[in-house]
Parts: sequence; structure tokens; C-alpha cells
Amino acid sequence: MTSILLAQEFKSPTIEYAKVAPLLIVFGVAIVSVIAEAFLPRRFRYPTQVVLSLGSLAAALVVTVGLAGSKLLAAEGAIAIDGFTLFLWGTILVMSIISVLLLAERAVDGGVTAFAAQAAALPGTEAEREAQARRLEQTEVFPLFLFAVGGMLLFPAANDLLTMFVALEVLSLPLYLLCGLARRRRLLSQEAAMKYFLLGAFASAFFLYGMAMLYGFAGTISFSGIAAAIGAKTGVDGLLLAGTALVAVGLLFKIGAAPFHMWTPDVYQGAPTAITAFMAACTKIAAFGALLRLFYVALGAARWDWQPMIWVVAILTLGVGSVLALTQSDIKRMLAYSSIAHAGFLLIGFVGVRDHISANTSAILFYLAAYGFATIGAFAVVTLVRDASGEATHLSRWVGLGKRSPIVASVMALFLLAFAGIPLTSGFMGKWAVFSAAWQGGAWPLVVIGVVASVVAAFFYVRVIVLMFFSEPAAEGPTVAVPSVFTSVAVAVGVAATVVLGLMPEPLLQLAARAAQLVG
Amino acid sequence: MSTVRVLFVLLGAVAVGSALLVVTTRQIVHAALWLVVTLGALAGCFLLLTAEFVAWVQVLIYVGAVVVLLLFALMLTRAPTRPDPAARTPNAWFAAVVAAAVAGVLVTTLVAGFSGAVIDLDRAEIGGARVTGGAVFSTWVLPFEVLSVLLLAALVGAIVLSRRDVPNRPRDAEAARDTEPARDADDRERSSS
Repeated sequence: MTSILLAQEFKSPTIEYAKVAPLLIVFGVAIVSVIAEAFLPRRFRYPTQVVLSLGSLAAALVVTVGLAGSKLLAAEGAIAIDGFTLFLWGTILVMSIISVLLLAERAVDGGVTAFAAQAAALPGTEAEREAQARRLEQTEVFPLFLFAVGGMLLFPAANDLLTMFVALEVLSLPLYLLCGLARRRRLLSQEAAMKYFLLGAFASAFFLYGMAMLYGFAGTISFSGIAAAIGAKTGVDGLLLAGTALVAVGLLFKIGAAPFHMWTPDVYQGAPTAITAFMAACTKIAAFGALLRLFYVALGAARWDWQPMIWVVAILTLGVGSVLALTQSDIKRMLAYSSIAHAGFLLIGFVGVRDHISANTSAILFYLAAYGFATIGAFAVVTLVRDASGEATHLSRWVGLGKRSPIVASVMALFLLAFAGIPLTSGFMGKWAVFSAAWQGGAWPLVVIGVVASVVAAFFYVRVIVLMFFSEPAAEGPTVAVPSVFTSVAVAVGVAATVVLGLMPEPLLQLAARAAQLVG
Repeated sequence: MSTVRVLFVLLGAVAVGSALLVVTTRQIVHAALWLVVTLGALAGCFLLLTAEFVAWVQVLIYVGAVVVLLLFALMLTRAPTRPDPAARTPNAWFAAVVAAAVAGVLVTTLVAGFSGAVIDLDRAEIGGARVTGGAVFSTWVLPFEVLSVLLLAALVGAIVLSRRDVPNRPRDAEAARDTEPARDADDRERSSS
């Protein structure tokens, strides 16, 4: 007999407004900026939007820091606010602030943002040419960006499947749109948006279907309820297995793990580079947060059921990411495959868990922060290397960049070394943390595969460095645009974080260790 | 067999039969109209399950709005409509297999989750507006409010993708094209200096 809800008096819900303030600030300001978009004259829109976005994200970050030490289920149990959530909120907000700086950059493309002058004007038509000549800008990207950030904040905090699904949609939909709004190479950008949308909708459907099965298994969609149902079950339950697998598909798609990675190279290549940087860092952070919370809190007791599946996915992801990156000739595609490989490294830390879940959680938190800073920095550098048609992303155009612009090439080289995991960079500390956690969790075969994959991956990172420094520049090479303070700050923060986390990782490692407790 | 059960079986048969007709008919407008029958029969099923609020929402939104939108879209893009042989895809059998599998799993899920659940008709008020509203605005209030953000984002996106501030005037456009290369050169100088 299932219990039946009886008619009762309405009790108003308790919402801990102070505790969910970062979410409310981001969503609230996003709505304000939609209104600003509607009523402000065109020339005021860009400065207003930049100020609103930066202000709201900074305010949300301050509030998040002020919440340190909270540990509760808020908003009728819909979201869990614990150290884990707060660490991820802080990381996502810092990365979003850097991404807004990239979004707001106007200096590298002749005084306009990198987004379509008029999204409704078809590529190659008179209307498009006129929109460009009138120097129109689509400033709606800022509210859309804030909506996506809000979804990303909700995603790793969600404490039941329904909230998690809503957050997944809220973060995805604005990203689909933003991917299609590039100013240059618009057909490529629109193709990317279309592919991302269709495949993303497909993955969401998988997630929803898995949700329905888990509900059928447990009779509830709250994580603690599912965990209790798993504790009470005996033997193998088909619904639980199928539900776990389907929910995992939805999340692994967002992470970009093989075999659900097909969208990554096309979307990363076609999307405006600022959005690519944002997706590569923040979507990955939010999605890993959700994956950890769902699989450790709700499905933790069924670990023996899902670990083999994630093992296979991790090995495939490492293989696909590091081997296919070797064959790429476009820097954005190469970085896309590199992000797939990094998802593989993170999955090693995720799946190599036996008793000490907090050790794995803190390793992954550290890795996500280190990887996020480096990847935003790397994509920011990509926006600077340009020729007449926009960004010069083909690798042959990067030949001899070190001779033409030593600073930009050195910065890029630093990020690539961090990706490769060379000691004294943040990437090394991240890999070290993840591998040692997985080793102690008994996943040593995965660690061995991971080390081999990072050697293979190091090869293609170093190949770019060799191209930049040890080849003669071509006669008609690309120019390096001089960025405004926005991109300069973004790159500088990336460089600083990569170096500091490589030399002095201890403070952040300790913070991550303190943040590794999940409430459930 | 009680009256309710007989009614439920009849409505279920109507729903399944008309759903099959939706996907097999060659006339696309007929498919839309058969969809009305399917959704209406489903609304009846909801009503019998004491989910009266869901039933009326089904009628108002799905029958009243979605199908009408569908017909409008057909009218604006395909009219006049006639049987379309291209509407038959060679993947139809594959879609049928997937649909059957999905139905199988869903039925299994429902049976596993709710077999034996009994609604006490004297006391229950399960799917009424009151209980549904209570659940939406208490337990699920945060996801519900965030969903409105999703709708707003979709709205903003639709406007961004479709609104034209630049009217299509051929003469102006040509003038703009003439001045564009000069501006581009200016920009490049400014950005490289």
C-alpha cells in the first residue's frame, strides 16, 4: 500500500532566504537586466549590463563566503547547503566573473562584443551587413549568461531529482542560445547551437527517464529517501540499475565523458570563445558537483552496482580524449578533446572510492578549481590571436607565435603545461590529488591508465608549444590583438591561479578537505 | 466490475486506439485531430483517478492550446494539406520498437511502484486543485519558481533569435555595404595600435 496524501490545511513553506541568497541575487539581477534590456536606450545597455552582471556575481560571491560553515537542507529540503555546495558556488562564481570579463571584451574586435550584431539577421544577407555597419550589439547575452549561472549554482546544490532536473534545464537552455550567437563564422556557430540543443534535449530525456525509474524503485525522489530505499533492498533490483544508468547518461553528457562526448568538439569550436571558456569551466564544475552529490549521497550504498559502469566510461573517456586530441588541427577542437581527457581524470577520482568518500570529494574539488582557471585563461588567449576573418584558430596559424608575441605565447604555454600536469603548475597538484585518492580507493588499474593517458596528452600540449616557439613564423601570420583591461584581468587571474596553486596548493587543498562533507 | 472500472477500460481503449491512429494516418491534419481524441480520453482517465485538476489542465492546455497551435502551424506552413507519401519514414519500424520498449519499461515502473495502491474515495482528495496547489507551493516551491526562470530565458532567447531591429531596405543596405570596408580598416588599425 502506498501512502495517500490527504486533504490538509495549506502550510506556507519555510524558505531560508539568507541561506539561498546567492541564488536569489543571481536570478533577481538576471530578471532586472531583462527589464533593463527592454527599457534602456541602446547606447546605455552595454555598460548597464556589464555593471549589473559583475555586481550581482560579486555580491553573490561575498554572500557565499559569508555562509561558510552552513550545513542544512533549505527550501523544504529542495537544496542542500553544505561545505561542498558552498565551495562549488564560490568556484562557479569566481569563474563566472572571469567569464563576464571575456563576454564584455570589445577591444579585440574593433569596438564591439564577440556576439552577433543581430541574431535574427540571416548570415550573408543585406540585413546582417547593415546590422554590422550600424555596429549593433546583442546585449541580451548578459541576462542569458546570468540565467545559466543561476542554473549552475542550483545544479550541485539540488537535493532531490526534480530540483536537479529543473536546474539542468535552467543551465542548459541559455547555453544552447549563447552558443549560436557568434559574430564571426555564424553558420558554424549556429550549427554548434543546433547540435548542442538536439543532443542536449536527448540527454535530458534520458535523465528524466532515469528519474522516473528511480522514483518507481524508491517511491520518492529525495536523495535521502532513495538512499534509505537502497539500504532496505535485498538482491538486485532492475529498476534501480536501469534508473542509475539512465540518470548517469544525462550527467555524463554534460560532463563530456565518452561515449557521450560527440557534441563537445563541434560546440566548443563553433560557440563564441568566451562562451566556450565559460562552458568548459563552469558547466564541468556544476555537472561534476551534481554527479558527486547524486552518486555519493543518494546512490552511495549501491556503489558496487555503478562502479563498473563508471570504470568503463572513465577508460573510454581517457582514450578518446587523449588520442583524438593528437589528430586535431584546430586549437579550439584540441582544447575540447583536452577537456574530455580532463573529464576522464576527474572520473578516475570519482570512481576510485572505497571508504573515504571525503578524500575523493576534496581531490575532485581541487582539480575542478585548478582546471577551471587554466581553461578559461587558455580560451581567453585564443580570442587574442586574430586575422582578418576573426580568430585564427587553425594550428598552422599559431606557428612561430612565440617570436611575434612572446608574452601571449608564454602565457599560453603556461596553461598548456598546467593541462599536461607538469610539476610546479596547478595541473600537477590536481592530478596528484585525484590519482592518490583513487589509488587509496583501490582503483590502481585506473590510475595506471590515467598516467599513461596524461603522457599521451602531454605530447599534444607540448606539440603546440614547440609550434609556437621553435618554428619560423609564416609571412602572412595572424596579429595578436591588444585586449582591454577585461581580458587582461581574466588572463592575469588565470596565470596567477595556475602558478599559485602549483607552488602553494596547501590553503585550497585544506579548504577543499573541509568542504568535502556532504549532507544528505 | 464496477462502473468506474468499465469506464476506465473504455477510455483507455479509446486513448490507445486514437494514439495509434495519430501515428498511422496519412493526413497530417487528421493526426492532429486524432490527438485531440487521445488527449481527451486521457483527461477522462485522470478524472477517474480523482486527479480532477490535472484532467482540466489537460483539457485546457493540451486540447485547448497545444493542438490548436499545432493546427495553426500546419495552416501557416503546409496548407493546403494532402496525404504526404514523404511522411512515411523507413525508420518507422525502429521508432515502433523504441516506443514499445519505452511503454514496456514505463508499465513495469508503474506496476512496481504503485501496484496495490488504493484510493479511498470517501476521504481522498489527491489530484484536486487544492492539494496540487499545496504541493506545488510548499514542498516544490523552489523548483517551481526556478522553472519560471527557465520560461523567461526561453522567451528572451526566442525574441533574440527572431526580432529584427534592422528593417530590410535594399537601398540603405547597399549604402551600408559601401561604407563597411572603410570602417573595418579603421577598426583594425585601432585594435593593432
